[in-house]
Formats: sequence, C-alpha cells, structure tokens
Amino acid sequence: MFRNQYDTDVTTFSPQGRLHQIEYAQEAVKQGSAVVGVRNKNYAVLATLKRTTSDLASTQKKLFKIDDHVGMAIAGLTADARLLSKYMRTECLNYKYVYECAMPLSRLVLRVADKHQIATQRVSKRPFGVGLLIIGYDQQGPHLYETSPSGEYWEYQAMSIGARAQSARTYLEKVFETLNSCSLDQLCRHAILALRETVAALKDIDLSTKNCALAIVGEDLDFTIYEDEDVLPYLDVIETGSSQPMDGQSST
Amino acid sequence: MFYSLSTLLIPKILESHTEIKLYILHSHFLFYTHTHTHIYIYIYMASIGTGYDLSATTFSPDGRVFQVEYAQKAADSSGLTLGMCCKDGVVLAVEKVLLSKMLLKESGRRVHLIDQHAILAVAGMGPDGRQLATRARQECEQYRNIFRMPMPAHLLAERIAGYVHVHSLYWHVRPFGCTILIGTWDGKQGPALYMIDPSGTFYRYYGCAAGKGKQGAKTGLEKLDFHQLSCEDALFELAKLINAAHDESKDKPYEMEMIWIKRDLGKASLVPPNLIETVRQRAEQLAREEEMAD
Amino acid sequence: MQLVVDPVRHTTSPLVTGGSVIGIKCSDGVVIAADTLASYGSLARFQNFSRLLKVTDSCLLGGGGEISDFQEIQRLLENLTTQDFCFNDEHKKSPRSLHQYLGRVLYAQRSRLNPFWNSLIVGGYVQSQSFLGMVDLYGTTFESEVLASGFGVLLGLPLLRKAYRPDLTVQEGIKIVEEVYRVLFYRDARSINRIQVATATVDGVTISEPYSLETKWDFKGFVNPRSTYDESTW
Repeated sequence: MFRNQYDTDVTTFSPQGRLHQIEYAQEAVKQGSAVVGVRNKNYAVLATLKRTTSDLASTQKKLFKIDDHVGMAIAGLTADARLLSKYMRTECLNYKYVYECAMPLSRLVLRVADKHQIATQRVSKRPFGVGLLIIGYDQQGPHLYETSPSGEYWEYQAMSIGARAQSARTYLEKVFETLNSCSLDQLCRHAILALRETVAALKDIDLSTKNCALAIVGEDLDFTIYEDEDVLPYLDVIETGSSQPMDGQSST
Repeated sequence: MFYSLSTLLIPKILESHTEIKLYILHSHFLFYTHTHTHIYIYIYMASIGTGYDLSATTFSPDGRVFQVEYAQKAADSSGLTLGMCCKDGVVLAVEKVLLSKMLLKESGRRVHLIDQHAILAVAGMGPDGRQLATRARQECEQYRNIFRMPMPAHLLAERIAGYVHVHSLYWHVRPFGCTILIGTWDGKQGPALYMIDPSGTFYRYYGCAAGKGKQGAKTGLEKLDFHQLSCEDALFELAKLINAAHDESKDKPYEMEMIWIKRDLGKASLVPPNLIETVRQRAEQLAREEEMAD
Repeated sequence: MQLVVDPVRHTTSPLVTGGSVIGIKCSDGVVIAADTLASYGSLARFQNFSRLLKVTDSCLLGGGGEISDFQEIQRLLENLTTQDFCFNDEHKKSPRSLHQYLGRVLYAQRSRLNPFWNSLIVGGYVQSQSFLGMVDLYGTTFESEVLASGFGVLLGLPLLRKAYRPDLTVQEGIKIVEEVYRVLFYRDARSINRIQVATATVDGVTISEPYSLETKWDFKGFVNPRSTYDESTW
C-alpha cells in the first residue's frame, strides 16, 4: 500500500512530523460500521448500524452503557472498546464512591482521551483502534463527545463516525442548527435518517429492527438502549423520510 | 553528503532569498523555511532514509537527532500559538482550527489552567499538550504541598522542560509532538513567560510564537514595546497577529482562544468570549481597512 | 537473630487538639461555629487558632480533634478545589460531595490503622438547600439538623435539639450557637470564650472574626463552689 519506513511504530515521527500508526488506527475507525450522535437541550441520542458475520451469529455490539447517566457507541475494534468501557465504568463508579454524585461528562471523556494519548507514546503499546461517540447527561445538561485514537476529543451538537460516516455528516450539517428546538421524537428521527444515509448507496441493506439500535439519555431518562422490536417505532421515519412524526404532531 | 549538497545549494538560495542567510548558518533549522519547500526537500534527501532518523536515541553522523527535529515539525503543524508577557500579566492566544461546523464552542481547548497563578498553551499535538498540562498541575500541586506558596515560573518551566527532555532520551518513548507556552504571575516576581520545545529546550520571553506562521508573527512581536503593553492592549495585538497569519480564502475557519493571568484579577482565567470576539472583530475590521487603503 | 518484630505504632492519642464544633441547619442556610482554642494537653496553648474553613463559595468545614491532622485535611481540600479550578468546567464540589469525600478519606486512613484524629462538620447551602453533615475519625458519615462534636455532644446537643425548629433563620441560629458555647465554656475545661461563627447562605460563605462571649461568674456555685458540691456533683 503506502508503506514507508516511518509507519511501523507509534514512537517514530515521519520527516513531516506525522505519526502514521495513529493515522492507521484512525483508518480502523472508518472500517467500523457507522454510528450517529445528536443532542438537543434535554436529550442526547445515538443511532447505530449493527453488522453480523452470518445469519447464525448475533450482531456486533455497538452500544455500551457506562453508568446511569452515560453511554457510548463505538466504531472500530470492539475488543478495544470493551477495554475502554470497562475503564470508564470503573471511573464512574469510583467517582460516585468518593463524591456521591454522577461523574461530570467532561471529566470522564478527558480521562478516557488521556488513556488514548498514552497508547500513542510508548513502544509497548499501540493506539486504540476505536472511535467513541459518548453521550451523557449531567448538571450542565446533555452532551455528545467524540474521541479519536490520537487522544483528541471534541464536543458536538451532532456527529457521525464509522464507514461512510461522511454521508451522515452531510445530512447532519444541514439540520444541526435546528436540533436544539427539536422534540425528543424528532431528534431520534434525525439520528435514524442520518444513519440511513450511510447505507443509502448500498442496494441490499436498509435499516431494520435487526441491524439498527438506538440509545437515549436525558434529564428524566437514564441511558437506555432500544433494539430489536423496541426500535421499530423509530424506524417508521424511513417510510416517510421526514423528521416530522407520522401523525404530524411535534411536541417541543 | 549532507554538507556537499547544502554547500552546493547555498549560492542558489542566496541568489533568490537573501533573508534566508540566518538559516544557512544554523543549518539544522532549515526545516522551518516552509515557503522554500523545494529547497529543504533537497537537503532532507541527504539524511532521510539512511536509518539515522528512526529513533530519538540515534545521532546522525553529523550530530543531529532527527526524531526530535521531526517532533518539532509536528509542533509546528497546528495553528499559530502566541504568548505576550506584559507589564501587568501574561496573555496566551491560540488560533484553533475548526474541523467541523458542528463543534461546540471551547471544544478541544488548547489553552489550559495549571494553577491559580499559572497558564499554558499548546502548539502541535493537542493530546500531548494535555499530558504536559497534567504534569505541570502535578508539579504545582507538589510545590504548594511542600512550600505552601505558588511555584516560581523558572522552576515550573525547568521541571516541565526536564520531563519533555527525558522523552528524547529513551527508545521506548517518543518525544512530545508539541511546543508549550507557560505563563505565570506571582506577587514577588511579577509576570513571566516561558516556551518549551520538543527537545526540552526552554527560554524566557517577552513575546514568543509557535505553530504555523510563527515566523511572520515573530516579526510582528518584535515591533511591540512589552514594558508599556498592558494585558488589555495585548488582546488586540494578539488578535491582529493571528488574523494576519490566517488566510481566509485558503485556511479552515478558526476559533481564537485566549487565556491570561493578570495582576488585578488575582488568578488565572480564560479571557471572556465577548472580549475575544470584540478584539477579533476590531482586528478583522482593521485588516479590511488596510486592504482598502492599498 | 530476632524473629519477633515490634508492631508498627501510629499516633494513638492526639497532641494539639481543638474542642467542640457546633452546627445547626436553618431554613435559609447553615451555621457552624467553633472556639479558637488549640490545647496542648491541658495547656491552653494557642488561643487564636481558626478551626473553620471556607472550602468553596457554598461550603464550610469546621474541625475538632488533632490540629495537625486538620491542617493536613485542609491541604487535601485545597488540592481538590485547585483541581476543580483547573478543569474550568463549572463543576464545583457540592457540600454533599465534600462530605462524602472526607468520609472516604477518613475511612481510608482508619483502615490503615492510622486515623485522622478529627471530628469534622461540613455545612453548605446550594440551590436553596441547606446541608449539614459530620464525619468522625472512623470515617462514619451522617447528617442531621443539629450536630456537635467533642464535649458539645454531651452539653450542646440537648440545647440544640430543644432550640431547633425547621423554620429557624440564620440569625436565630447564630444566637443559639452562642448560647451553646457559653454553656460549654462554663463546663468544658478545654474551651475558651472566644469563638468564630460561619454561615453559608444564598449570599455565599462568611466566617466571622473571632469574638468574645460575655460570661457571668457571679453565680453562687462559681463564687463558692463548696455550696453546690454539697447538693450534687455538678
């Protein structure tokens, strides 16, 4: 491929000052199936596309609950994500044990991003090959964060990562300014529609109760995963193709 | 091979770019001449691929540590980062490039609070910079625990520079891909500004620049009188320099981040967003007027 | 060869100590008070030592027991608030969080058989809610409307419980703790009639300058102790 002598080690800079191993790890994120995250003033929502290796196998795990107020969707290596989710769960539990309150999202994400960074500076480690979309609700309201194998992290109004995430981002960039005034229902619909953009170009795939899962967290709602038949009510949007609920009513 | 090639090139460079003389004298700084890409590529050719540039623990035959120099390249890959040491405090500013319009304000911050009296800004790889910020906080905390007073700037800079430096000594870690600016104010010593590069070298400055376009910014900084400059005035000067470094037609949109520690506030804080917005608009307005005048 | 190693010994008794701390929850805030004495055994060694601490803009701490341990706890809390300051993310520790944190710290220390020899009272006022909690040297945490430590448990709590009403104001609370300290000064030999009163209200946290309580010593039993001893041990 693009092989060069500077790309086999995270501890070696290329003459241009780049770290190819980090960039390759970021490619692993793009190989994972797509996930979408959106938020309004009171809720944050994740929508994910689950792959399966065979009809006899279960689908890949894309959503992880971290604590009552935090959860995440992953794109990339599932095993790396499980390791990180265990770390995040422990952090949340420790925080609750010491301070008797839920861990603020900003601090949790900072810690997990710092963990990513450490894996980019040592010979004995490799970068994590996974991107996370983390949603949660704390004293400052709902949050949506993305972390990258490089150790960078950002907070967004709406974001998508994974395979063909660019088409989802194109959709989201059109609507993200309206999200704050959306109802929860509309928010979920936007998430589903954005996710659908990532499979729109594929002939033999469409979103269904089998391959789509949703997660919501908000002011009066602990992090909850909706999959299988529970996700059905949210999929009707695919028929109508509109962010408005089918019955035409939108509660804001 | 390196010398013979560069010696061959010198007359050619002098011919077209007389201002480059300085870099020829310090030949290992040649990478910084971004504008003369075709030239530095020739000089690279002399040493890359020879196997002397794969580890920070390897010297090249002419006495250079290439991995550290490459890390310095990484440190100059992000937006412009500036520091000004004024008569009543220190201000640091960063041009933070925005990768998406869906990002929230203050997301991926590059300026950090270190202690009540200390601030830090990062040029280059943000995550590496965060690691150094964490380290700086620990140093300040330990100093406070022992001496019950804020850590003096020169000690803080020395400790962090030492930490950066040891990352250029071992094969099992890589150097930090960032240059950091540290600003402090304390009652006894007043304001102080330090810059630490990936080799662990550090100096104290009145004004300093790192990141993309630092050459131009340095020229601008040298025109200021830092003995007279107040923090309030520095905001506008910083905004002007960042605005000048940014090519609106070519570069991605950016957010201006500023952090300061000044006498009348008593402790470090991020500069309020409305203040930054005001000076940014003034700087952009001024640039437009100057363009019109031309 | 000596096979028997002496057991490790930590502090088994406090040296420089502070006396009672009193706390009372009010409808519009909390009041915490302490006298300003740090005793060295039975010697009234430091007579102007502040045992009250402003931790955040909404949270107070009062400490009794070993003074050096209290100073160590003060250092831990300063580190904690500086860390919060550096995050710059608007997440400040609530009084409840600090209470829990101190509970964990004191429990961890006692589990190493090296306790912080203190009783701590945490008070705060956040989002129109008063908080008052206590931590002892075992790491036990509990909350109550009225709290006291040291001799205050024996002499102060009955008075506090009698005077407590859910609709107490901070001003009334201050009067009550002053009365409690007067009683404590008459009977507790490790006390002084110089106190500080701290309040946490919607306006934030204030700690008063130390001031002296008026005392009366013309009570018959004080003037001529023998006459009361004839009637009872008190």
